[in-house]
Amino acid sequence: MSTLDISPIALPAPRQGRPLVQPQQLILAALLAFEIAIFSLIGSRFLTWDNFFQVQRLNVELGLLALALTPVIVSGGIDLSVGSLMGLSAVLFGMMWRDREMSPWLAGAVTIGVGGLAGLLNATLITRLRIPPLIVTLGSFSLFRGIAEGLTGGYDNFTNFPKSFLFLGQGNIGPMPAQIPILLIAAAGFWVLLHRAAIGRALCAIGFSPEGARHAGIPVERRIGLVYVLSGLMSALAAVIYVSRVGQAKADAGTGYELLAITAVVLGGTSIFGGRGSIIGTLMGLFAIAILQNGLRLADLRPELAGILTGTLLLVAIGLDWRPSSRAMVAQAGAPGSAAEEFDMKNSQVAAICAVILAAALIVVGGNFMLVKSIQQGGGGASFSGTNGSGGGRGPAAGKKVTIAMMPKSMGNAYFIAAQKGAQDAAKELGVELLWDGPTDTDPAKQNEIVDTWITRGGIDVIAVAVENRDGIASALRKARDKGIKVVTYDADTTPDARDFFVNQATPEGIGYTLMDSAAKSMGGKGEFAIITASLTASNMNEWRKNIEARLKEKYPDIKLVDTRPCDDKQDKAFSETNTLLSKYPDVKLIMAICSPAVPGAAEAVKQAGRKDVHVVGLGLPNQNKAYVHEGITDAVILWNTMDLGYLTVLASDALAKGALKPGDASLPGGRIGKIEIKGDNILLGTPFIFNKDNIDKFDF
Amino acid sequence: MTSSSDATLSYSDEQGNATWTRYVREISVAAAYLLLLSILALFTPRYFQAKFAASWVDMAPVLVAAVGMTLVILARHIDISIGSQFAICGVVAGLLARNGLPMPAVALCTIACGAAMGAVNGIFVALMGLPSIVVTLATMVILRESLRWGRQGAFVQDLPRGFQWFGQSQFTGQVSLVATALIILALFAWAMRWLAAGRSVYAVGSDQEAARLAGVRPKRVVFNVFMLMGALTGLAALLGAVRFPNVDPNVGQGLELNVIAAVVVGGVAISGGRGTLVGTLIGVALLGTIGSALVFLDPHHPGERSLGAWERAIQGLIILVAVASDGLGRRKS
Repeated sequence: MSTLDISPIALPAPRQGRPLVQPQQLILAALLAFEIAIFSLIGSRFLTWDNFFQVQRLNVELGLLALALTPVIVSGGIDLSVGSLMGLSAVLFGMMWRDREMSPWLAGAVTIGVGGLAGLLNATLITRLRIPPLIVTLGSFSLFRGIAEGLTGGYDNFTNFPKSFLFLGQGNIGPMPAQIPILLIAAAGFWVLLHRAAIGRALCAIGFSPEGARHAGIPVERRIGLVYVLSGLMSALAAVIYVSRVGQAKADAGTGYELLAITAVVLGGTSIFGGRGSIIGTLMGLFAIAILQNGLRLADLRPELAGILTGTLLLVAIGLDWRPSSRAMVAQAGAPGSAAEEFDMKNSQVAAICAVILAAALIVVGGNFMLVKSIQQGGGGASFSGTNGSGGGRGPAAGKKVTIAMMPKSMGNAYFIAAQKGAQDAAKELGVELLWDGPTDTDPAKQNEIVDTWITRGGIDVIAVAVENRDGIASALRKARDKGIKVVTYDADTTPDARDFFVNQATPEGIGYTLMDSAAKSMGGKGEFAIITASLTASNMNEWRKNIEARLKEKYPDIKLVDTRPCDDKQDKAFSETNTLLSKYPDVKLIMAICSPAVPGAAEAVKQAGRKDVHVVGLGLPNQNKAYVHEGITDAVILWNTMDLGYLTVLASDALAKGALKPGDASLPGGRIGKIEIKGDNILLGTPFIFNKDNIDKFDF
Repeated sequence: MTSSSDATLSYSDEQGNATWTRYVREISVAAAYLLLLSILALFTPRYFQAKFAASWVDMAPVLVAAVGMTLVILARHIDISIGSQFAICGVVAGLLARNGLPMPAVALCTIACGAAMGAVNGIFVALMGLPSIVVTLATMVILRESLRWGRQGAFVQDLPRGFQWFGQSQFTGQVSLVATALIILALFAWAMRWLAAGRSVYAVGSDQEAARLAGVRPKRVVFNVFMLMGALTGLAALLGAVRFPNVDPNVGQGLELNVIAAVVVGGVAISGGRGTLVGTLIGVALLGTIGSALVFLDPHHPGERSLGAWERAIQGLIILVAVASDGLGRRKS
């Protein structure tokens, strides 16, 4: 066995032979500097205090998780449950505040306590029963999120928190976001714990060799227990800050954060095998990822690049950490001078990282050149002078193009691709510059981040958003309006005070009623039906469901809604859920699918079950459903013309930027769609359109 | 049940060689599955008329992926990139079929595509000796984002008639899906027990150094395991895709954790070298049945929250109970 150079009582040993900064951190620092240099060249307003603090604000929750995960990984463990625990904590926090009427601060404190208990559960299973942490936390990953979903039924959410509480996540102390001090204190605390306390040395020893540490007199179980409890506490704290930043507590808070946090920690040079790691490295890894995401956005590059580059960096980072055999590991920990050896060993890897950085730079720069080129080409023909009436500080000056930044609910969704097509048509017609960006992952707070980045980017006249989180995004949009940017929402609305106009493709009543009416028609006015929705947490689908149920109660006493199941926006899940529903409720006459991948999925399930007596109606795109409509399985697909929705949004945004559209207007010249009615601050696209056998072939989107 | 080939297994921490002791996990998980089935039979016998068979069609792709994951975990590694591989392979299958390739060629290319992605993981993990959890975390993100970039979420549509169910009728298609999955499972279960190649996976997972001294080449074994994992993911994606007349590129998100959970519940030790494919089969069956069972057992009083919302919590609980009972058993002995 190895002999560790740790004294039996594990005092903070003198750091002989250990350089203050390790080679990997030097390279990470170089990478950070490089990222900053590149993005300040090609991104607009990248290198400003505003942007700096913006990045930090968005980073706090992830930062807390990454900090807590560092000692966990150093001790040779892992904690996959941190993101799920955020979801559970957010829900508990919301319940205590709303249902038990606690003050937010008390609720926050209790939540953090519960987080500690959840951490204790992990710790107990890991230390008492000796189960590998990966499995324990995989189990609690499902368990915590599952309890959060079960408690809220998935769709209950908590909003309207008091201003004083929202300050924590949205306010500023001087120029600094209010939550930054918390991160700094936590970072300092963890730094002391890991690098200046006996416990930190003990954790390294445990990570290197638990058995050896035990022989050295370290209370291994208690030390390991401590890091998981800390990780629980931090997750709950992160959840409270998250709720305060987003202004909404829902079961989906923190989805996917665990992998991001682990990425940051590993990128920062902490060995996934345990035994070695640093808090400063973790912070640097965190910033490297955050700056990459932020910089790519400000440089108007594809957001998917962020993930691809982060993954590549991760591979390179662990490549640098390469220890070919376990013997090298012993040498490294045993001999004081090993850092130098380690460095020698890695010349080839240093070359590799340089190559990757260069390649990344080429992609970034190349992409930017092409973009600039395409803009110049696009702008060449359409030179117009904006008749800018209103518009605040950054309104378009005469002769400058109007810039509209438009956001779908998520990238890679056929529905919004059709909307994008329409938007591009309008942009071409009007000669406006159109930015199109949206979340690529499942993080529900991502839309806020993108709006914030756009505010920082500057030069944007109108922001048009298809809102995912009604109350969640309001704070970000209000901020944009404060900066003089016009805000339009489309597809789904936010709170009315956070935007100028809402391009209403159809009101939730319109959609809900039309769906229920066509369902009733298909069912002949009586019988049972079931609903397939995207997720139980999506706000606008819940709005539709409310209206469907309202219409049902009011008009169709003989029809009964038997169940509602989520399909996670996936066709195969919609298929199996429909299958389950059909067999559990044999009398179901109709499946109503209210998200677009669910309609073909449900229809296929009905078809395969051979149930000629069951009909499908749903909200979806004509192309995906043509076959089923012709086969007579799907009776009606309801949708507005999605392309027109994108088209009209750009049209309205442009008019708004130029002052041609003002509050109180009753109509808008709608270009190729014709005159558009405006009701209050809702721009109405028209009533939802029903695609059926007779007309579906006329549409291609 | 003791045969000489079991010598490579590390059972040193367990006492007794009786069948019961050795297969206590498989037996207890099977008991849990049977209990669940009998509850369903008692309260909602309808389950067996329609959903039982259909649930196995749904589970077929998961089962194939779980076979691969069992090998990976037995070799003391992990692969969390399979969800992304699954999506890419599905899209590849769809695109190839749309371009007029005959279905057998589509199937081969899809499996080869999966194997290639698995081989990339294998190079990093086996040849460069990098930790598999980090490597596959990175490839998971890279593959998923590349797919998003390429497809922008658009379905692959207008597939030829021969795509769905390989051009067979629905019934034969469903049967052949489940049969393929079970044959793969049986084949691997046999190979893992009786072939030297199979035993070497156990050997490497138990103690890499000892395996090397015994003449096994650990790097080669690990590389092959990752490549097989990829190939099986390709096959799983194919089985998943042919159930539909079009391909959804968003599938597979979260598949990796579901599969790992099923494998772990089935009694495969995450520390490598211990577990069986029979256990995996039962694990997949148990976790794959919970969701629909909850819908069936839901008494459903209108206005109340449905039982289905607790699906994930119950899955998590099953994982924890399964591994905790393991831990408790170990403490006693």
